[in-house]
Amino acid sequence: MGSQVTILAGISGAPWLLASRVVARNLNPCDARLPGAYMVDSDWSALMQAAQAGNAERYHRLLVEVGAWLRGYYARRLPPAMVADAVQDTLLAIHEKRHTYDPSRPIEPWLAAIARYKWIDRLRAMKSAPTEALTEDIAIADHGDGVASAWSLERLLRELKPAQSEVIRLVKLQGLSIEETAARTGQSISLVKVNIHRGLRRLTSIVQRQSDAE
Amino acid sequence: MPNEQLLERLVSDLKPVRRRSVARDALVFAAVCVIELALFIGLGAMRPDMTAAMEAPSFWWKLGGLGLIAVVGGAVAIISLDPARSPRRGLRWLVAIVAICLAAGWIIDASREGFSALAARVDWPDGLLCVYKIVLLSVPPLVGLGLLMRRGAPTDTSGTALAVGVAAAAWGAFVFVFACPHDDPFYIALWYALGCGLVTILARFLLPRLTRW
Repeated sequence: MGSQVTILAGISGAPWLLASRVVARNLNPCDARLPGAYMVDSDWSALMQAAQAGNAERYHRLLVEVGAWLRGYYARRLPPAMVADAVQDTLLAIHEKRHTYDPSRPIEPWLAAIARYKWIDRLRAMKSAPTEALTEDIAIADHGDGVASAWSLERLLRELKPAQSEVIRLVKLQGLSIEETAARTGQSISLVKVNIHRGLRRLTSIVQRQSDAE
Repeated sequence: MPNEQLLERLVSDLKPVRRRSVARDALVFAAVCVIELALFIGLGAMRPDMTAAMEAPSFWWKLGGLGLIAVVGGAVAIISLDPARSPRRGLRWLVAIVAICLAAGWIIDASREGFSALAARVDWPDGLLCVYKIVLLSVPPLVGLGLLMRRGAPTDTSGTALAVGVAAAAWGAFVFVFACPHDDPFYIALWYALGCGLVTILARFLLPRLTRW
């Protein structure tokens, strides 16, 4: 049940919205990796207000806690090898754009919007980035997140045409070369490239549409 | 870079920041627009027959329509500089306003001399000049909103860029209304739409690259 909640939260892009439902079902909030689970004894909004005023100690605490939440967020949405970079990239963006947070409004949608923006950035970057095969130890290090990530990506990939999702799985997630993928799928090399490009573009637009719908 | 090292770097780089304010951004955009209009009129670019032109419904149609599009476009663009706000709903409103303006122009046009001799009314040498001037006059609000966009944190950069483009183009055309001697709705719909369209397309493809964060 807990993993189902995690996966649904990942698809919706606003996991904390499910916080009350998780509590109602007597699930452990930590399992569901909601922001609320990390905000046990601190209020991120207050920490950010202090950071905007230049309080380094509270800012450090905020970054540590948000970093932990971001790791869970991206673990459900990206291949494990990309999670660390996405977290760092997002922390940098939060730092650069901290002046855009308005303390009169809740901080969670602000954080989630930045996290989603960087997620879309990563999906776009997958089009051009060289793909490395995932090593065994990456999968072992964070098995739970890997499974959740696979689930979330799988849900997204199902929205694509089979030819597109198949080549994205093989090249971008399993690390096969374009040539190997062409041989395995029977698609020409140029078709594999086109299908990856179009598939990732469609994934990006699906994520953006979800954001608009919310 | 290890995570802890990044955190230390960010914390040591921490300085107090002035919070972004929608009102302040709107004031900056309005100031750029008003200064441009004052300079344009102050430099003597206003059409000589302005008093007579003000009696024509088509003059008020183009001034009011473009002003409304610029204000709504600017508001949509500025609001969407908050990462949690999407410009899509505002863009739909903009499309509706543009459609209403064009329909109003069609009604004004139909009440004139009918639809004959449209080709003669195109007046393309003047039309191209109009397009050129509209594009030129759109540059100050485009730069102003572009800088605000760079400082803000839009998460739907293509949508925000579209709103910026529409607002800047409409304001450029609004300023040009004071100099443009043409009041024919067909001419205005054709050449103004072309000028505004060019600026909007330019903004849509240029701004997301320049304001990436």
